[in-house]
Amino acid sequence: MAARSVLRSVLSSFTGLKLGVSGSNVGVLQRINVPLVSALTVQSRGVRQVVEKQDGKTTTIEGHIQDLSAAAQPPNPEAKCPIYRWNLQHRYNYTDVLLLSQFIRSDGGMLPRRITGLCPEEHRKISICVQMAHRAGQSSTCSSYSPVGLLPDHKPKLPEGHVPKRMKQQLNRYLTRYAIDTVKPIYKRGLKWSKKRMPVGHPVLKDNVRYGFKPLYTKH
Amino acid sequence: MSSFSRSAQQWATFARSWFIIDARMQPPGKIATMCSVRLQGKHKPIYHALSDCGDHVVVINTKHIAFSGNKWEQKVYSSHTGYPGGFKQVTAAQLHQKDPKAIVKIAVYGMLPKNLHRRTMMQRLHIFPEDELPDDIRANLTEELPQPREIPKKLSDYTQEEIDAFPRLWTPPEDYRMK
Repeated sequence: MAARSVLRSVLSSFTGLKLGVSGSNVGVLQRINVPLVSALTVQSRGVRQVVEKQDGKTTTIEGHIQDLSAAAQPPNPEAKCPIYRWNLQHRYNYTDVLLLSQFIRSDGGMLPRRITGLCPEEHRKISICVQMAHRAGQSSTCSSYSPVGLLPDHKPKLPEGHVPKRMKQQLNRYLTRYAIDTVKPIYKRGLKWSKKRMPVGHPVLKDNVRYGFKPLYTKH
Repeated sequence: MSSFSRSAQQWATFARSWFIIDARMQPPGKIATMCSVRLQGKHKPIYHALSDCGDHVVVINTKHIAFSGNKWEQKVYSSHTGYPGGFKQVTAAQLHQKDPKAIVKIAVYGMLPKNLHRRTMMQRLHIFPEDELPDDIRANLTEELPQPREIPKKLSDYTQEEIDAFPRLWTPPEDYRMK
């Protein structure tokens, strides 16, 4: 026990020393390497699935090569951002849940840009669309216990048998720009030349492809 | 049609039809424009303001109406009782809680022409908060109008095959956990 703890402390001290001594070099290398790894496909001989078999005293450990041929090649492989690689720029909205669900964590938040490889503008657009998709569909004035929004509900489950004191008001909404609790009612809307508008959608999506003639109104 | 007799053709032209609109997940303003057009009779080539050619419109599921943006919190409905200190302002969410039919009713009322025909047209508008309809109204219905807004699909409504058929846009690095 004591030996193990000593060993552990020695190992940790060693790792600390290594990082401390060559910290600057390693950091520079890491900064150069990481973007290459995440954006392009890693060159490898094939992903293998490790299978262990025990035959009495002999243990066989095999690596089965999985045929991971790309399901579909992106039409524009030279681009850096995944959205530009698939030519989806200016073509997605808060309703495209299959696209948005690829960039979210299990608890509903966005994945970091250095991992997904998105360019900053597209990352911002996607995070705004994810927020709108979470708020869209059914929602309530207080925190709800029932499934909310177009994306699956990420809230932690409450203990069973929990009865809410007040019935939550179920309100449907879509294209909500701001968080529900932060918005205040517009008591004085103003005259025609100085009206306080109610914003709908987000101006970041104004360049989306429109196949009709009607313009996109963000101020209602 | 040319095969109908003249009296039948005349009867069909001037008959008052009953339309039904489902307002589930629809913006109340778009529902109200469709209602007001049909209540006035402007969808008919024989329209004239004095000829009382409006039709009946039934709106169902007004409890499940959907506002775009943050209008549930921002939109304010004001009224004055006439007495001093009687200016009341309620947000759309509060009004919807009190009366789920009010938002559509106020929207249609504001879109109809501001004359004495407005009250008769409002009498021909029938709003129901849920699916249930009285049997006599259900027997009168002639046409269902298409919904103005396409309801987006939730992720839980997609089948697993559709989710798998959608290509993965990016591959995560092997050393990244916590998705």
